[in-house]
Amino acid sequence: MIKAEHYLKSAWVRRQFELMLPLLSSGISAALQLGGKRLVEFNEAGHDLSEGAPGVRAFPLTLEGEQVGTLLLRLPAQNETAQVEAWGNLLAHSLQGMLEAEHGRRSVARETLESYREMALLQRAVTDLNHSLKPAAVVAALLKEFDGRNNTADYGAVFMRAADNDDCDLAVSFGENAGKDFARLKDSRLFADISVRETGDIVNDLSSSPLWAGDVANFQALLWLPLVADGERLGLLVLASRHIEGFSAADLKRAQTLSSVAATALRNAQLYAAEQKMFQSFVRVIATAIDAKSPYTAGHCRRVPEITLMIAEAAHQANSGPFVDFTLDEDERNAMEIAAMLHDCGKVVTPEWVVDKATKLDCIANRIHLVALRFEVLRRDALIARYRALAEGEKPESAETVYQERLRQLDDDFSFLEKCNTGTEFISSEHLARIESIAQQRWNDTRGENHPLLTENEVYNLAIQRGTLNPEERIIIEYHAVHTINMLSQIAFPRSLRNVTEYAAGHHERMDGKGYPRGLKGDQLSIPARMVAIADIFEALTAPDRPYRKPGKLSWAIDIMHRMKLDNHIDGDLFDLFLSEKVYLAYASKHLAANQIDEVDASRYLAGRGS
Amino acid sequence: MMSENAKIVIVDDEIHIRSLLEQTLEDLEGEPKILTAANGVEGLALIEREHPRLVFLDVMMPLMNGYEVCAAVRKNPALADITIVMLTAKGQESDRVKGLQEGAHRFITKPFDPDEILNLAREMLGHS
Repeated sequence: MIKAEHYLKSAWVRRQFELMLPLLSSGISAALQLGGKRLVEFNEAGHDLSEGAPGVRAFPLTLEGEQVGTLLLRLPAQNETAQVEAWGNLLAHSLQGMLEAEHGRRSVARETLESYREMALLQRAVTDLNHSLKPAAVVAALLKEFDGRNNTADYGAVFMRAADNDDCDLAVSFGENAGKDFARLKDSRLFADISVRETGDIVNDLSSSPLWAGDVANFQALLWLPLVADGERLGLLVLASRHIEGFSAADLKRAQTLSSVAATALRNAQLYAAEQKMFQSFVRVIATAIDAKSPYTAGHCRRVPEITLMIAEAAHQANSGPFVDFTLDEDERNAMEIAAMLHDCGKVVTPEWVVDKATKLDCIANRIHLVALRFEVLRRDALIARYRALAEGEKPESAETVYQERLRQLDDDFSFLEKCNTGTEFISSEHLARIESIAQQRWNDTRGENHPLLTENEVYNLAIQRGTLNPEERIIIEYHAVHTINMLSQIAFPRSLRNVTEYAAGHHERMDGKGYPRGLKGDQLSIPARMVAIADIFEALTAPDRPYRKPGKLSWAIDIMHRMKLDNHIDGDLFDLFLSEKVYLAYASKHLAANQIDEVDASRYLAGRGS
Repeated sequence: MMSENAKIVIVDDEIHIRSLLEQTLEDLEGEPKILTAANGVEGLALIEREHPRLVFLDVMMPLMNGYEVCAAVRKNPALADITIVMLTAKGQESDRVKGLQEGAHRFITKPFDPDEILNLAREMLGHS
C-alpha cells in the first residue's frame, strides 16, 4: 500500500508554495492533499478549499495509475481560469515529479530493507537453529520463527520423516488446538500429495483445491516446505492461516531461508544422534559381554549405572550440605552412565576361574572332590586294616573300635576342610595348624606311590584367611581395574565424555588411599568416581547371586557400608546422602527380592553427622 | 496506542541510513513524528529543541560524535526521559560498553534489522 503522505515533506511543499504562488496572483489559496491527509494549506482568507467547493480547482496526483493526492487552488477573482489551469498544471507536474522520484527511491530502499531483514534473519537463524544438536530442539527453534508477532501464520507444524519409510509424524506445532488439527491434516488427501513433493508452495484458497475436502475447518490457506538436506527429505514444515490469501510470496521466501538452514542443522543433529546411539550400543555390548561372562555378576553392569545415577540425582537435588554445588547436566549424566556401565570392562580379560572362584579349591573344577576321593581311599584303608587285624587274630570288638574311631576322625577332618573351603570362615592360626596336620596324613595312589593327603597348593589355598582368592589370584582380579583404564584410555571419547575413564577406573579406590589400582586418596577422586564406587559396592552386596554367599539383606548391606564409611573406605558424605535421601530404598523396592528388604534404621548411621 | 504523536530523532551523517531508518519507522503505529539531523551538532540542537521520546544516534559522525551527543543529552536533567539507541558499523564490544557508559539504552549494529528496530521502537515507546 502506498502511503503517499510520507512521500513529500510538508516543509518542502510549503516552501514550494511560498515561491510559486506570488507569481500567480495575490490572495491565492492553495492546499496539498496527500494520502487522505491535508499536508499543507495556504489559506489566509479562510476559504472553503475542499474539492468541489466554489471556485476551487483540483489537480490529481497519481502513482502507478492510482490517485494518491490532490493539489487544490482557488483564485480570488473568478475570471482567470485559464491562467489557473496553466499554473496549476505546472505546480502539479513538479509535485508529481517529486512523488515519482520518491516512489522510485522508496522502492529501492524497500529492497534494501528487505535484504537487511533477510540478512538479519539468516544470521539469527544460523545461530539459533545450530544452537542445539538435538533434532527436537532444531525443529522447535524453526517453528518458533513463525509463531507470534510479525507473523502471518495462525498455525504451524513440523512433521518428521521416519528413518526407514515415507511416513511423516507430527513433531511440534503451534496454534489453537493445533495438535488435533494437524493430525486431521495428516489424514487428508492434500497432505498425502504435498508430503512427497520436492518443493514448497502456497495454496491461498484451500477450498479451490480438488484434494481438499474441508478436512480442517480452521485452515483456509496453507504454506508448506520440505526440509531437504543432502538431497534427502527429512521433514515438512506446514503453516496454516484462518484466512483466504493468508500467505504471500514473501512468507514463502522467508520460510525457505529458514528451512534451508534448519534442514542442515537437522541433518547434523540426526547424524550426531545416530553416532551417539551407535556409541551407546557399543557400550551396551561391552557391558553385556562382561555380565555374560560370569553367571554370578549377571546384570551387575546394568544395575551399577542405575544406582550411580540415582545417587547423582540426589546430589543434584541437594539444596544444602556438601553437594549443594554438585550439578548434573545431560552430558554429565551421559558420561556417568557410560562410566558406570564400563567400570568393569577390564574383567573381559580376567580369567573366569578367578572371577567365578566360588571356593578356595576351585580351579576350573572344585578340587574338594579330589580330596574327598582321597579320604575315601583312607576310609577303605581303614576297612582293610580292620579285616587284616581280624585275620591276624585281633579281637573283633577292638578292631571295630579302632575302625570306627578312624572313620570318625576322617569324617571330622573332611567336614572341617569342607568348611574351610567355602571362604566364609576366617582362618586362624589354629585352623591353619589343623589343615597342615591333616595334610600330613598319607595315601597310596594306583601306582603304589605314597603322597601327602593334601598337596602343597591345596594347603596354600585352604589357608586363605578371608574369601576364596589367594594373593596371586587377588592380583589377577584387581588387575581388571588396570585393564579397565587401559581399555578405556584407548577410546577417543568426545569432549563431553572426556571424564569417563576417570569415573570408571576409580571404583576400587578408597578414600584413605588403600584401594587399587592407583591407591588414590579421596581428594584425588572425582565425586562421580566415588559415586560409582558406592554403587558398585552396594550392588555387589545386594546382588541376588554371588559365588561366595546368599543374597544379602538390605540392613546387612547398609551396615557393612557404614563400617566402610568409618574405615574411610567409601566417601562418608555420599554414604550419608545415600541414606538420608533413601536412595537405597528406592533402588531396593525396584530391584531386590521382598525377602531382602528389611528395616534399615538410617537414623542410627546418620547420628552425629557433621561432627 | 500512543497517546499523542511521539517524536523520534534520527542523527546520522549517512543519508541512506537516515532515509532507511525513517522509512522503517513510518510503519510504526500512531504516526510518530520523525525528525532527522546529519551531524552531531545539528542532532543535539534538534534533540534539545524537540525533546523526542526516542533518539537513534550514529556513533561515527563529523563535528561531534555519537558518544559526545549522548553524554551532552545525559548531562541535561530536563532530557532525562529520552531513550537513546546507538548505531554503529563496528561490532566491537568496547564500543558497546562505551555507549552504555555514556548513557545509551541499546546498541544496534549496522546494517540493522528493520524488525529489530520496529520492535525496539515499540518497546521504547511503550506499545505492547
